Amino acid sequence: MLWKEKYRVGVPLIDQQHEELFERVSNFIKTALNGAPWEERMESVKETMYFMQDYVIVHFDEEEKLQQSIGYPDYPAHHEAHEVFKKGIDDYVVLFNEEGFSEEKIQEFAGKLMTWLIVHVGKTDQKIGEFYMKDGGL
Amino acid sequence: MKAEYVNAFYKATQEVFKLMLDVVPEKKNLSVLEDLASSKDASVLLGVTGDLKGSVLFSMSKDTALEMIRIMSGMQLESLDTFASSALGEVANIIGGNAATILSQNECICDIVPPQIFVGSYRSYSTATRQTLLLSLDTDIGPIDVSLALKE
Repeated sequence: MLWKEKYRVGVPLIDQQHEELFERVSNFIKTALNGAPWEERMESVKETMYFMQDYVIVHFDEEEKLQQSIGYPDYPAHHEAHEVFKKGIDDYVVLFNEEGFSEEKIQEFAGKLMTWLIVHVGKTDQKIGEFYMKDGGL
Repeated sequence: MKAEYVNAFYKATQEVFKLMLDVVPEKKNLSVLEDLASSKDASVLLGVTGDLKGSVLFSMSKDTALEMIRIMSGMQLESLDTFASSALGEVANIIGGNAATILSQNECICDIVPPQIFVGSYRSYSTATRQTLLLSLDTDIGPIDVSLALKE
């Protein structure tokens, strides 16, 4: 299981979306590694890939709206971190569209995506929670 | 090599391991070697450019590397496959990024070159320095070597 309780930020909507993201990434990793013939897994991998590309945009937008509504002071840096995260995914999608969805490249992407998600939610997002609890109206 | 360079990578390694693995590495030994080399199973080589130039090598046993992957993903893998190598490389990359941030607070501006991952037995790497500092770390999941070959 990828999700850990320590990743909880303390804002219900954000935590719910984070749990969804972790679950999707966890399933993505399992599919990427499960050893069945690649042709049988490729459609599921593609589908999850495109879902995540869309879902991170929805989630990051929601998170940024919340940050702005509570006057979160680190919003510009956090927005930039989101842009870097999205570009990381987009660059791989471009690569997959140009060179095809190879098992090797999907596994490489899965390894990176897992670490990006853990660092972003486990570190960067925790600061939103700290501010929200202190100054954000709770 | 100044102590602050070693400390930046030590502190960054501690921070990232604690965040991602709930493991806190402790300094066991610091020694000077002639070469940048490792006989451990898994190594990640980071390039450093800017005010500091050179390489930083993270090395560990296969079991330690697989335990890192298990803690992060919840999955017990048997081998250091593409997924595991990619994740290890990215952890080292994040450590390098954090070390660069710490160094920048002391007006030392560096960039980290994307990691190269090596799986297998003894390997030596060319360096731009005459000496390498080996920082041996102890962790609950096994020893980790951080070798620094950096010059101003």
